[in-house]
This record gives sequence, structure tokens and C-alpha cells, in this order.
Amino acid sequence: MTGRARARSRGRARGQETAAPGVTPFQETAREAPPSEGELVGRGRQRTAPGAVSSEAVIQISAGFQQVKIGERGGRRRDFHDAGINTRQAMEHVRESKSGFSGSPIELKANFFKILSRPQWVLYQYHVDFKPVMESRRLRSALMYQHEETLGKARTFDGALLFLPHKLHNTTVLYSETRMGEKVQITVTLTNELPPTSPVCLQFYNIIFRRVLRMLNMQQIGRHYYNPTDPLNIPQHRLTIWPGFTSTILQYESNIMLCTDVSHKVLRSETVLSFMMGLRQQSGDQRFPEACTKELVGLIVLTKYNNKTYRIDDIAWDHTPNNTFKRGDSEISFKDYYKAQYGLDITDGNQVLLISHMKKIGPSGGPPQGPAMLVPEFCYLTGLTDKMRADFNIMKDLSTHTRLTPEQREGRLNRFVGNIHQNTEAQTELNTWGLNFDNKLLSLTGRVLPSERIVQGSRTYNPWQADWSKEMRGIPLISCRPLENWLMFFTRRNNDVAQALLQTLNKVSTPLGIRMQRAIICVGFLPKVVVVLPSNRKDKYDSVKKYLCVDCPTPSQCVVARTLCKQQALMTVATKIALQINCKMGGELWSVEIPLKQLMIVGIDCYHDTAAGKRSIGALVASLNQGMSRWFSKCVLQNRGQEIMDGLKVALQGALKAWLKHNNCLPSRIIVYRDGVGDGMLQSVVNYEVPQIMEPKLTLVVVKKRISSRFFARIDGKLTNPPPGTCIDTEVTRPEWYDFFIVSQAVRMGSVSPTHYNVVYDSSGLKPDHMQRLTYKLCHMYYNWQGIIRVPAPCQYAHKLAFLVGQSIHREPNMNLDDFLYYL
Amino acid sequence: MNTIFTPPLYIQRYEFVIDFVKKNKPKKVVDLGCNDCTLLRKLKFHKEIELLAGLDIDCAVIRAKMYELAPIPTDYLQPGDHPLTIELYQGSVTERDPRTKGFDLVTSIELIEHLQLEDVDRFTEVVFGYMAPVAAIISTPNADFNPLLPGLTGFRHYDHKFEWTKVEFQTWALKVCREFGYVVAFTGVGQIPAQEESIGFCSQIGVFQIDRSGGDAPRLQNNVLYNVVYPSLCDSNIFQRTLVNEVLYWAETLKREWLEEIRFEVENEEVGGEGRTDMGLYREGQSVCVPLVRLCSCPRVQALSGTVQHLTKFLLENSRVQLTNDGTAVVLVDNDDEDLEWDENCDNTGTGPFLVSSVENEDWETELGQ
Repeated sequence: MTGRARARSRGRARGQETAAPGVTPFQETAREAPPSEGELVGRGRQRTAPGAVSSEAVIQISAGFQQVKIGERGGRRRDFHDAGINTRQAMEHVRESKSGFSGSPIELKANFFKILSRPQWVLYQYHVDFKPVMESRRLRSALMYQHEETLGKARTFDGALLFLPHKLHNTTVLYSETRMGEKVQITVTLTNELPPTSPVCLQFYNIIFRRVLRMLNMQQIGRHYYNPTDPLNIPQHRLTIWPGFTSTILQYESNIMLCTDVSHKVLRSETVLSFMMGLRQQSGDQRFPEACTKELVGLIVLTKYNNKTYRIDDIAWDHTPNNTFKRGDSEISFKDYYKAQYGLDITDGNQVLLISHMKKIGPSGGPPQGPAMLVPEFCYLTGLTDKMRADFNIMKDLSTHTRLTPEQREGRLNRFVGNIHQNTEAQTELNTWGLNFDNKLLSLTGRVLPSERIVQGSRTYNPWQADWSKEMRGIPLISCRPLENWLMFFTRRNNDVAQALLQTLNKVSTPLGIRMQRAIICVGFLPKVVVVLPSNRKDKYDSVKKYLCVDCPTPSQCVVARTLCKQQALMTVATKIALQINCKMGGELWSVEIPLKQLMIVGIDCYHDTAAGKRSIGALVASLNQGMSRWFSKCVLQNRGQEIMDGLKVALQGALKAWLKHNNCLPSRIIVYRDGVGDGMLQSVVNYEVPQIMEPKLTLVVVKKRISSRFFARIDGKLTNPPPGTCIDTEVTRPEWYDFFIVSQAVRMGSVSPTHYNVVYDSSGLKPDHMQRLTYKLCHMYYNWQGIIRVPAPCQYAHKLAFLVGQSIHREPNMNLDDFLYYL
Repeated sequence: MNTIFTPPLYIQRYEFVIDFVKKNKPKKVVDLGCNDCTLLRKLKFHKEIELLAGLDIDCAVIRAKMYELAPIPTDYLQPGDHPLTIELYQGSVTERDPRTKGFDLVTSIELIEHLQLEDVDRFTEVVFGYMAPVAAIISTPNADFNPLLPGLTGFRHYDHKFEWTKVEFQTWALKVCREFGYVVAFTGVGQIPAQEESIGFCSQIGVFQIDRSGGDAPRLQNNVLYNVVYPSLCDSNIFQRTLVNEVLYWAETLKREWLEEIRFEVENEEVGGEGRTDMGLYREGQSVCVPLVRLCSCPRVQALSGTVQHLTKFLLENSRVQLTNDGTAVVLVDNDDEDLEWDENCDNTGTGPFLVSSVENEDWETELGQ
């Protein structure tokens, strides 16, 4: 599912709809970033010949992106593309080239379309002054409308900045009159000529593109646009899926391109009220408030009366639609307000209200407005709840609708761009600005990195596929911990399956090299526990893990009885369990060659626990040996507002101590793979986290899985997924970054997602080629999967750890477990 | 200037129109001089209206906000019972435009004073003679009121070509009634406490009602700036989809409840078990059948289909719902819940022999020259 729950409450004000009750309506005032003249191209009087832009300038331009903001309606926005963070120029060894060379070339297609603009295309930026000063931005726009013959049809005006595709005189003075008969002098001064690559132009292309999508009758939800006329329905769960597209126009390595991907929005065709009534029926009056809070808080809702999205932050149990709020000078009840304002009747007068805290800054930079109160009857849920995500049947139904093969995906993208080309209104809009899009997907060349040899004890093998569960059968593991003094718990009803598991475990462990004693009950010291759970009830699992990770530190393995029921699969299941148990006790399974000495690899990820007051859990996993087969793991719990790195710094010190203990020296270089960096958070990683872990030879790589770039390969005349190991470091990367993409895993269904690696800091001088290959090697090292995974193993370990703590334990695990992969 | 009134006068004018719409329930409404569509945006919430149109001579001001009249996501999630089409035209109120014929209500809010006096005559002829709506609401400033407005000299707006007194307005309106067969009621919005009663309202309003029954002229459509049809249950595709979704949802819900009940009975070794039929559901081979009679008792299904006969008819036409041979029950497959793990990494399979053989015995350290 792409874009799941990504539409955090970013509902931006759409026009002049009255603000939600409880929120004082305000006028949006134009906010212009203070000009930082001199250092940035694209600001101030920049009059060099457009078109001839050096690569150096492109980098600078891209870096200046976030300094200037234009918006159709003003207001502040977060920069989701992390533009303007130029990390590459600080790394000397990649300034010239950041490309690798090993592997064999492969022809690829990517979901990018080039932007074509007229030659000599320039965007003219004007500053507009009103005399007397006009406070209202609406009024300012209205006054400008009176001069269409001078300004032309194509224009963008945000209240202070005016953009036109043609040139006026350097200073144009216009006269308008307000409705009140006040005479206003408007001075339009040319301030800038912007080449197509300028950051303002990029932002501008995005605005134009959004207009075009609206012309195609697409609906904006959150950041993306969806087509509501042809929904897919899953009536059993009241789910409606709208197909749509994500789109971004940015300066990529060599061109300005539109990156667009198919996205699906999951909506629910029931109101929050009917959802709540269903919940009350299920959970009973007693447990209803708790269940309700758990299910609803954090979800995004759409309302029946305006085009905004809200995040449910709380439930006002003491409020009903009969409560009043202050509107202007008088008090009005919610019931009367909705009737008067929107002609909407509230049928259930006893429903409790929902609370949404508005993040948006109040008028003229003031404090944020108070919370908005929402009536459940008028709200529709979007996205999936955790409960739904855990429901295999729902996910299966969803994936049949949303998983697209590379060919289907390419078809949809081509049709989308085709629609833009065929829509006359859209073409008129683009033509007035002198812009257009390429009509075919970008072609580029990638490389397939050499395959990795798996080292397992004295034996090595080259996996034929991205999965070596077959190859490793019958080969002893690198190191095994004997399974002694262990316990197995199960209920009376599960006696049969438990006995079967015991027998099979015995059978499979000998060839792997695991010595296994009979399971016995041992009072006092419990080195290892296997628990057979009767069902996959989360609370039972949670309490088992909580006890064995915190109070009584013991490696443990839980198995749901149902997985053991299938006779034919029992061998496979038992093998996996045996491997997993071995890892948890400190055994090593396999390895790959790492041609660097004294190298410590660190993986960091975090998990945001919405239930426990928005607490974050940061997990750090660090390698302890040359073969990357032993790991030190530490978890820190962070309260709201705290930087995750503060705690992780302590964890890293612990990792270094553990390294010293294992190797009698300190690592000579550290490479950190940092996962869990959201859109727009890159700046804080670069500015804050890098200095925190300053080491002489440090590399910090930001790993991103949720990206909209997709790659397709043409193999035997068919468009397929690129093979594992495909690396892309040209064309679609960003000029201001040292970044690359690797497709490491193989998927059976749908299109594979590449992973984006952005090296934001590197003082080790490692060649880009080696950086890429090391990264790919690490994707082989995740012991819970006998194959290549999507991210380097330490990231996946860190993710697993943070998830276990965030979901089940909620406390810091006992430090006796730090040297084990107990969370697998 | 208008701040001496609360709520502001322009809001009061809109509210006047909205109250009229609520009371008279016109099906087709056109706003002449719709400007940035503020009134239309308010009117679109009134379910009585099936066609909502706006006309303005300035297409730029229409374009500025017209997309705000588009349906919002929730309009698609739960389509309304009533159809609604919104259209915006560029055109002049002094010219005959076939698209503006046959409306139930024409509103012209603070418009006529922007016309030259000779154009007012043409406007009168076009609106009452040609468009011939069932009702019309015409508002214009009341010049008698101007002395009460602090600091006002001349007209209230630079673009006003005239401002009529109460008597002038009424004279014009009564002439309209005589010529075109309408009756008019005079009213207005905006009064200051302690003002002289005879001055009247700040904005004077004439509400015209046709005095004869006018036939609907066929409407032609051209040069439409914007046309949007709201999703509604009147669209048969949308209706079918909504009904099928409701039916399947309730059928699945009933099936689940029924199966749970059976399981409960079996576990507690109660007699009867599967034989109990008080929910009306029954098994047929691997499937569970949910009678339509039972489904029809679900409020939403009933509201959509009315009777069991209708429901049967609708469902027989649809291929997404499988009915029993006699057409009295919905057939649902009772799939045993599968137990497969759901792990993002479970998807691995090879994409074929594309792997390049590996490089052996490398040492990256030496290449670093350190």
C-alpha cells in the first residue's frame, strides 16, 4: 500500500470556507520569506542569460529552493522534498562523480517525465506594491484582476509576488478602485528573471501541475490527487479505494522532471458515527471509551461540508452537538451552526464530539488556533486502522486491487500523461505558460551489482536467486549455541502440535549443527523458553515478551499453534524456528565477504508509539565483528519533543564499549544507516545528528523506503521488475546529494520498490562504488530471512527492535540481552 | 462601511436568498452577476436545488474560485439522494441567452445599479420577458438610506451608475409587474435601531412571483465555463454500486454473526446447533445464503430499495451479487480464514538467472591507500 496514512492532517485551507467551528476564521496573509540576497541564485537581480546554467549553478539553485516560497494562497508549508539541503558539496571525493562502476549495465525505464519548456523560457517575477496599503490579500487579488489586459491571462499572484511568462516595463503603475470607491495605486516592479531551473520555477511548475490535475476532475486528499469517479469497493469492510497519482516536479541530476507514481487512497464509506456505534456494539458500554480512543485517535477524517482533512487527536466525551461555541459575539450550538451554515441535520444529538488540534499557525504568525470540534456524523474515516492492517483477509483483498505489475503500472502512467495531453483545458493552461511534458517514460541505464557469495562456515555458495533457503539446507551454520535448559509452554489443547514441533525440531537441528537437549522444566535459571500460543491474541504475546525481556531476561520464541497445524509445512516451520532460536541465543548463520577491516556498521530506526502519548522509540543496532554476524542492540524511549539522537548517543557509546570488549580495539570507521527519517526531516538529521556522532571516519547514510521512484526493466520483450542488485546513480538522483538507489529484493507480485540511499556525511573517503556494494552486501545479512531484503540488515534489526518495544514491551529491555538478537 | 450592521449586510442579503430557497424550494436557480460564486457556494448545500447556475460577464472572477464548487471527496463516498448540477456561464444580463431560460428562481443581488439606465430596461426585458422565471429576487441600494451612512458622499461604490430611492425602485418594479405579469413584494435588509421607519432598508429587495404558468422552453448549452454534475443516487450506476455495496456489507455482517452464534452453540454443546434458523440464514454446500427478506430489514438497504421485490429486481441485474436459483437469497462463499503470514519480506522469488557472478578476494582498504 503506498501512501498509507500519509495524509497526516495537512488539510490546507481551501479558499474561503468558514473555518471549522471552534476556530476563529482568519484571513490568510501573504508570508514572504525574507530575501537573502547575494548568495542565492534565483533571488535578487539575477540577469545572466537563461539556459546556459552550469552544473555548479544548478546545485546552488536547487539549494536555494526553500528560501523563496510562492503559494497559490500563501501560508507556510513544509518542504516535503528536503530540497535546499546541499550535502554533496561538503564531500570532496564525490564532487566530480558519485557513480559506481561495477556490475553489468541494464536498460531501465523510470516513472519520470521530462518537462519541456519553450527555448529561452523565462519566468518574470514582479513585486507588487499597493498604495494605500491593502490589508486583505483577497482584495489585493481582486484589484489585480481589473488589469487583465495589461497582465495577461497567465499569471500567479500571491498577494505580493506576481509571476508572468512575459515581460512588462521595468516599473508599471496601474490604478484601481475598491468597492468603497477608494483609489489605489498599484506599482508592479520587475525584480527577477528566473531561468527554468530556478527553485522558484520548480515550485511554480508544481502549482501549475496541481491546477492541471484539478482540471482532470481529480480530488485532492492530503498531498496527492485521486480519481473519485471509478472507485474500487470492498463492501465487506466498507472500504472504497480511489486510484490516483503522486507527483513531484524537481530538479533531478540532469533535467527537471515530473516523478509520478500510481497511488491508492483507502477511504471508508461509513461515517465515524456509524463506526463508533459498531464499536460500541462489539466492545460493550464498559470498554467502549477505551476501544474508541484506541481505534480513532490518530486517524485522518474527511468532513461532509468542506474540503479539509483533520487528524483526530482526542475525543470530547463531555461534548455533544448541543454544546455551544462562540461565533462572532454570540454563542451558537453545533447543531444550529451546521443547520444554518450547511443545511445539515444532526440526527443523533447524543454523539460525543471529536477533537482535532490545528497545527496551522494563527493569523499573522500568532499562536496556533484552538482545537476544532468535529461532529462524528459528518466525518468519514480514511486509511486503515492497525486492526485492519493486521487482518490478513482485508490486506489480501486490498492487495489484489492495489498491487500492479510493472506493465500495469506503466500502462496507468502512460494513460495519465496521455489524459493531460488530450484534455484541452489542461493543454491551454500549460500552453499559456509555455510548458509541456514529455509523453514517454524516462529511459536510463543502471547497473546490476555482482552477486554476493554467501559464506556459511567452511562452505560458500552463490545463490541462484535472491533466496537461498534451498542452498543452505544441510549445511552447518557458522556457529551454533546448544539448546540446553529450555522450557516449552503450551496449553493442554495444544499438546499434540507441541509434541510434533518438539520432534521435528530435533530432526532439523542436527544437520544445522545445533545440539538440542530435551526440553525440561528447570526451576530458577531459565536460559531459553519456547511458548506455543493458542491464538494470535496480541495481549498474550505482549505479556510473555514483556516478562521475558524486562523482568526475567531470557531469549524466547513464540509460536502460534495454528502455524504448526499443517503437517506438510512443519519441517519448513521447524527449520525456521530452529534458525531463529539459534540467532536469539547468539549463534551465527551465514556471512558475506566484507573487504574492510575494523568497520562498525550501525543501523538506526525509530517507532512512533501513538497510543502512549506520542512517545518515540529509537533503536540502535551495531555490528560487533568482521562478518557482520554479531550485533549489539539498544533501545531508547523518548518523550514527545525530545530529539531521538540524544538517547541514541548513549546507546552508541555502549556499542563502542561492546566492540572494544569483542575486538580489543575500537573500530577505525563507522558507517551509520539511518532509517525512519520522514519527508522534510533531512535538515535536522544533517544539522543535529551528524555532530552528535562525530567520529574521525564517519559515514551517515539516510535510508528511505517510502519513495515514489520506480524502475522497470525490459527482459525478453516484457516489462518486468529489475533484478535484485540493480543500482541507479544517474539521471534520477539529485544534483545536490550523494545519493543512489538500489533494488535489492525480489518480489513475486506487483512492482518492486527501490530503496533510496542518501549519504549525507562521509569523512571516510570510501568510493561510491564501494559504498553501493557494501550497502548491497548488508542487505544479505538479515537472519530472519534467507534471502536479500529491502534495506541493510542493521536497519531491519533496528526496525524489529523498535517495533517490539513500541508494540509490546513499552519499556526498555533488560541490558543482559543487548548482545543477542532477542527481538527477531 | 457595512460594518454598522451585524451580521454584515452582504451576509444578510445572502441569508435572505437562502431563507427564500428554504421556504419555496426552487429546483433551478440562477444567480446573475455571480462574481466569485460566494452565493452559489452557500446555495449548493440546499438539497432542493437540482440545477444551480451562475452568470457573470467577467470570466476571470468566475475562474478564480470556480473549482470550489466542485464536489468534495465525501460527496462521492455517500452520494446524495438528489441530483445537483452546477453550471457557470460567461455572459451579459442584458442579452438573451437561451441557457438562462426556464429557471424557478433568478437572483440579482446588488447588480442593476452597475448598469447604465438604458441597460436596465434591456435587463428588465431579458429577465422578466425572456428568461421568465417563476420567481426573481432583485436587490439594490436604497438611496434614501445614504444619509444614515457615516462619511458617505456620492454613491456607495465607484462603479454604481445610479442608486434608486424607495419610490424609484417601487415604480420600476410595479411597471415590471404590469408589463410582464408578475406580482412583487417589497422588503429589504439592514435597518438601524431608532431610524425613521419611512426610510426603509439599507438594501431594498423586490421579490417577484410570476402571475401565470410559464412553459419550460428547451435549453441549449454552449460556451459553458464550468459544468459539474454531483454524484447522486439518481445516477443509475451510482445507485447500483451503492446498493450492491450495502447489500454485500450487510450480508457479510449477518453471515459473520450467524457463524459466530453457531460456533458458540457448538462450543457450549447446546442442542440444535446448525438447525437454528431464527436469523433466517442457511447453508447450501460450501456457501451461506442470506435471504433478501432479512437484508431488507437493514435500514439502509430498505431505504435504497424499498421493497423485497425491488431489491430482487435490482440484484438480478447485477453480476457482483450471486443469488440463489430461486432469487430469494444472496449466496456468500464461506471461505475458511487462511493462515498465512503477512510479512513484507515474504515476497521473494527469483527473477531468473540475471545475477552476475561475484568478484572474489577484494580488499577495499588497499584501494583507499590507507
